[in-house]
Amino acid sequence: MLELTLSENRAGQSASALVQFVLPPELEAREPAELRGLRRDAVRLMVLPHASGEPIHTRFDALGEFLRAGDLLVVNDSRTLPALLRARDENGEPIEVRLAHRRAEDLWDALLLNGRTHIGRVGMRLDFGNDLHARILARRPDLPFLWRMKFDVCCSSLLDLIYRLGEPVRYTYVPDALPLDLYQTVYANSPGSVEMPSAGRPLTWELLLKLKRNGVGLASISLHTGLSSTRDDAVDARHPNYDEEFHVPATTAQAVNETRARGGRVLAVGTTVVRALETAARADDTLAETRGWTQLRIHQNYRLRLVDGLLTGLHEPQASHLDLLSAFVEPTRLQAAYQACIARGYLWHEFGDMNLIV
Amino acid sequence: MFALRDKITLISGASRGLGRALAIEFARQGASVIINSRRTSAAGLAETEQRVRALNAPVLSVLADVSQRADVERLAGEALARFGRVDVLVNNASALGPTPMPYLVDTPIEEFEVVLRTNVTAPFMLTRALVGQMLARGAGSIINVSSDAGAVGYPTWGAYGVSKAALDHLTRVWAAELEGTGVRVNSVDPGDMDTAMKRASEPDGNASRWTKPETVTPVFVYLASDESARVSGQRFLAQQFLAAQRD
Repeated sequence: MLELTLSENRAGQSASALVQFVLPPELEAREPAELRGLRRDAVRLMVLPHASGEPIHTRFDALGEFLRAGDLLVVNDSRTLPALLRARDENGEPIEVRLAHRRAEDLWDALLLNGRTHIGRVGMRLDFGNDLHARILARRPDLPFLWRMKFDVCCSSLLDLIYRLGEPVRYTYVPDALPLDLYQTVYANSPGSVEMPSAGRPLTWELLLKLKRNGVGLASISLHTGLSSTRDDAVDARHPNYDEEFHVPATTAQAVNETRARGGRVLAVGTTVVRALETAARADDTLAETRGWTQLRIHQNYRLRLVDGLLTGLHEPQASHLDLLSAFVEPTRLQAAYQACIARGYLWHEFGDMNLIV
Repeated sequence: MFALRDKITLISGASRGLGRALAIEFARQGASVIINSRRTSAAGLAETEQRVRALNAPVLSVLADVSQRADVERLAGEALARFGRVDVLVNNASALGPTPMPYLVDTPIEEFEVVLRTNVTAPFMLTRALVGQMLARGAGSIINVSSDAGAVGYPTWGAYGVSKAALDHLTRVWAAELEGTGVRVNSVDPGDMDTAMKRASEPDGNASRWTKPETVTPVFVYLASDESARVSGQRFLAQQFLAAQRD
């Protein structure tokens, strides 16, 4: 009886509470590998076996050694937008606007900041310069730090202005604004992500074409990422459940079904791919073309229907991504593996080193 | 007719001359077109857009300086946001440098760099931004507009000629790297055409002997279409292509 209660408690606890570590600031990647004098595919790679066994520490361009003919890599091909905009309110006060989710051609949910303080009110009018304005229509009831805003231009014209006025969203550990193209994967297609789908960043076409020649398949989904942080630690600690727009194309659904039928492994490049595929999974563990929004939370006790392995970056303590990782690997093993990464000087965040769980 | 049905094509430098002729012909062949020019050529681009629209072809105009990396990413992003993919890229935008054209020894360093940046770095950047989504689909065509000046060392055609020779080599290396992927890269020397650039380069030339840009479009349609699916790494002469077609 006591045991049951304990295990219930444990199951109810998030993995991010179970995986405890302190990230030394010098292990935060401040810039892409190319600006550190490395090829983009020469970052470090920790390969963590699913069930048991010690992690292997190698280089990312050795990825092929851990994949087999018949495996399928699924990437997120969403392109990164420059989603950090600067505006002024009616009184001329500067406001930082971080676009979060596109709801319609001229409607966005956004985080409004004065420094790191959340601000905003219904009716507020924002002036972005270049004849671009927006009005705050409402507050998201489920995510009260996000405001729904309507721009006064639409479609291609709005996108053009976002590109001209915006810069990539970045956090304190990236000291300088970097060119937007450094925030793109090599296979990026249509824009819509407000932060880079970063797990695929180290992939090069040289590596992808080599994998393909060796019989590894490549397929893509699109999931437009939201913000990874509200810049308010207390809010972030509650793990707000964002909804993100995604599309699983028919060709990818077919590739996943065929891979599984043949006994190959479906390997997600990034947590966004896990969310998209698992959201679209049907009751019989197959996949069909799906378009929609996902709020799926994946945690330690979630039964993965379609995804067999995960290529991902290294996540901060408290990040909800760690909960998702615990669906692939026991939190205690994850904790030990992360400690080993810290000891070896792995770099964290979107420009950092990588982790393959297979 | 309709050799380019359902193709999404992007043509840089489409405010006049060959770029405009290609936009109109691609539209006539059933393609959707994304056309681009710098802001200083906005009026010409609007004219091209109007003529493409008159053919009922889907069209997107983007003012961007393709020699600037932020503009390249914006152009690629807007094209992909609108159409979901780009099947064909024509790197047509080109800079001649100062006119009347000086000897290399008399060419200002800044002018030389502008020509190289526009004629070599820009096609490199634009191809880099768009080739990934082509490789993911295993299909695509990239066409680089070259020149006779890239093959022969004509006096006073220095910066331009050097840039076109580099563009031809960019074509060869890129084609070799992408062999077997379904994405192909070729270049075309359109020959002497009666364009504003040609008149600037040879103010005393006999314009009546130069062909209209409209006449050289068949080789571009061929390279953009599935008919050339296995052709890559080649340098085409538009006039030879026309002559072979007539035979």
